[in-house]
Amino acid sequence: MVSVMATFQARGIILGKAPTVLATIPASVLAGITGHPVSVEVHVSVGLPTFTVVGLPDAACREARDRVRAALLSSGVQWPPGRITVNLAPSGIRKEGPGLDLAIAVGVLVADDQLRAELVADTAFLAELGLDGRLRAVPGVLPQVRCLNSDAVVVAPESAAEATLANGPQIRAPETLRELIAALRGEEPWPDLPAPESGRQWEEAVDLADVRGQHMARLGLEVAAAGGHHLLMIGPPGAGKTMLARRLPGLLPPLDEGTAIEATMVHSAAGLDLPSSGLVRQAPWQAPHHSASMIALVGGGSRTLRPGAVSCAHGGVLFLDEMGEFAPQALDSLRQPLEEGIIRVNRAAAVASFPARFLLVGAMNPCPCGELGQPGMCRCTPLARLRYARRLSGPLLDRFDLRIHVGRPEVSDLFDAPAGESSAEVKDRVGQARAAARHRGVVANSELRDSDLEELAPLDPEAKDLLCKAIADGRLTARGFQRIRRVALTLTDLAGEEPPLTGEVVAQALFMRTEPVTVAHDPWSVSNAR
Amino acid sequence: MLDDPTGLTAVPSEEAEEMPVEAWLVALASLPAVGPARLRAMLALDGPAEVWTRLLGPASPELVQVAGKRDRYEQWCRYAAVLDVVGLWSRHREHGVGVAALGTPGYLPALSDDLDPPAVVFHKGDPEVVRGPRVAIVGTRRCTRYGSDLAFELGRDLSSAGVGVVSGLALGIDAAAHAGAIEARGAPPIAVVGNGMDRVYPQRNRALWQAVADQGVLLGEAPLGAPPERWRFPARNRIIAALADVLVVVESHASGGAMHTVAEAAARDRAVLAVPGPVRSSASDGCFDLLADGCAPCRGAEDVLLALGISGAEARPLDPRTSPGVVGQQVLEALGWQPADAEQIRARTGLEMSQVAGVVEGLRAAGWVAVSGRWIERVGHPR
Repeated sequence: MVSVMATFQARGIILGKAPTVLATIPASVLAGITGHPVSVEVHVSVGLPTFTVVGLPDAACREARDRVRAALLSSGVQWPPGRITVNLAPSGIRKEGPGLDLAIAVGVLVADDQLRAELVADTAFLAELGLDGRLRAVPGVLPQVRCLNSDAVVVAPESAAEATLANGPQIRAPETLRELIAALRGEEPWPDLPAPESGRQWEEAVDLADVRGQHMARLGLEVAAAGGHHLLMIGPPGAGKTMLARRLPGLLPPLDEGTAIEATMVHSAAGLDLPSSGLVRQAPWQAPHHSASMIALVGGGSRTLRPGAVSCAHGGVLFLDEMGEFAPQALDSLRQPLEEGIIRVNRAAAVASFPARFLLVGAMNPCPCGELGQPGMCRCTPLARLRYARRLSGPLLDRFDLRIHVGRPEVSDLFDAPAGESSAEVKDRVGQARAAARHRGVVANSELRDSDLEELAPLDPEAKDLLCKAIADGRLTARGFQRIRRVALTLTDLAGEEPPLTGEVVAQALFMRTEPVTVAHDPWSVSNAR
Repeated sequence: MLDDPTGLTAVPSEEAEEMPVEAWLVALASLPAVGPARLRAMLALDGPAEVWTRLLGPASPELVQVAGKRDRYEQWCRYAAVLDVVGLWSRHREHGVGVAALGTPGYLPALSDDLDPPAVVFHKGDPEVVRGPRVAIVGTRRCTRYGSDLAFELGRDLSSAGVGVVSGLALGIDAAAHAGAIEARGAPPIAVVGNGMDRVYPQRNRALWQAVADQGVLLGEAPLGAPPERWRFPARNRIIAALADVLVVVESHASGGAMHTVAEAAARDRAVLAVPGPVRSSASDGCFDLLADGCAPCRGAEDVLLALGISGAEARPLDPRTSPGVVGQQVLEALGWQPADAEQIRARTGLEMSQVAGVVEGLRAAGWVAVSGRWIERVGHPR
């Protein structure tokens, strides 16, 4: 009994004297892709040993109790034998996930006076704890660090590179809680930040030089990359649509500063792997399966608002294979982000906007049987083809400036054809076209406004004739007319020439905007089918 | 069966007495499931007006036998009890649809000697145009560009040589043949349809249907309101075969309506010609079978004229398309008459892909090629 009293006295807690200590530790939580600062208040008082977490924690957050206790005991410090209350302020917003573990652990130590409060002044903590006291990374570190107002932030070593991008507080990244306590107490120096490891490498692994033949698709990819034009590839199974689309991110220029930060925040919040530098510099690639729900595509969720595939593709390529198989509702939800470059998700609990400016690449079969070999070979009835064609709504189809047909490569091409141009060569021309677009004040020609086209993309007489004929034939709508001009302008830029647009480039642009599915050969039906 | 047996009032008997015999024929033909065979069997029993009266009276064992099934006979009786014969007859007059009964002076002489002449023929347009040499051009609805091009050319060239083009106004080959005949403005086109003439079928051929009625004649054996039921089309095919002196199959799958027409033509000793197609094209399978069986090949209007015993087709009209240009000509030659994709054209000509795209689009605008999906095909003549 004496020894117990002595322990209490040593800690400055004397029975009957209201021996309470309070600690307030800054931390943060993630909602959507935005960080919200949270104060972790820890109160230790005499009473039956309990450990309560209040302030709208979710299950993962409430379970912090068990992790924190085990981690502290594994780290050579004492567990205060009293009543511990943790409040997560502001108490009104929901706290999700295990990211507050470290802040709670440090709070307990401070409140129990095992760590002096001034040692952790102005330091925020963002990590999950393992039972052995190891610091683990949590999603969304970058936006969370950006929302904090502290001089220093402690994160897990895996998050260090990402956290440094915030360009604000000093980042500390100890491996374990034991290291952290020693460094805070000044018994050991802070460990160095981990050196960047080699991260994702696929970007270098795929190159256009591997593609044999497929010159039409190559041209399509080049124009799509140069002008930011959405691309639809139509071809039978095995034609290599996915393989071709996979090479598009490698043709795109690196993301600019703002887009790179936005993309990194989205990737971080979505829990995707970040490159070793922490910053997403290379155009991202997202290829959701066709069973993806609307929520999976655009983001959302009932409680947690998570960014969807369109936001993860921000600044890069969103590839939808088998477009005809996606739920129509899911496809139509792409129209807002395609138009505005941003997606707003409204839920009863919260509203979030995610950036979503991406290059859309779709792939589909030419008809239900998928073959549509030479005319007369396909076994689909005209009606079945018509139904298949209607799976893509007109407004969505209209967004594709480039619609090209891709055939299976000839066997001889696979073996004998000389290697095509490499991605680097094409990327040079893409860079040249993008530079021309920058002179016009946009990132890519697809972003030019209709009202500017008259001045920036004038038509020569031959080009006018071709377009008039295409409109008269019902092949082109007014919107399509403007889109053709943008593509023709990109083709002009790629050729290193100047507007006005010639008949030749307009013809090329028209050819690369075919009808996706042919309904019939019958001359009378063709004119009446539209 | 008619979609609505008009007017549910009883027929005023005095008025009905004065109706021509055709009116009763029309009423009988409008009964459900009555085709040429049942109509002929009914008329073998008695005159049209008398058969109708029998349907309204006590049960007739002979008519039950014609119906084949008791159910169907009862259906006929119920139908006959409510049909407004006078109304149906006046509807034909209002629509300008002529009716001729077999054996009357208005009946088409070309059909009266047939193996299986229709008991009643409906016509819209001028039936007098059915004279002089006639050729039936038939084929599949699922045709290729090659087939529709050739059907169009045959229709155009034969019509301008003064040969009447007979076909069925279906999609595909039929429509292309009629379109060619109409463009030539030569011998008037003759179409045999399977359903009532107030119903355009297929709807996509609406414009063509009207053009044939204006310039030539629409024939059929179904009264107004008769829907395009499946069984009506084989019956229609026998009339096409009966009207033609020569039958040309442009493209046909191994089985189908066109092959049925061939069988009807063979039963009538008509010459049958088949257009050879690419041997890999399933749309030409029927033609290959015919050629293997000894049919003469049809390479153009001259072969048909030869089969008809007429000589001297007129010179073809000058091609109105603008010149394809040097590179355009190079691409057309590389293309040949088989469909090819842009990749193949690039390989054959050595042009850059972007050039190929531009040139093909230019050729398409000028009407030299057609693009369907991935395939680029040379077009024989402008439309």
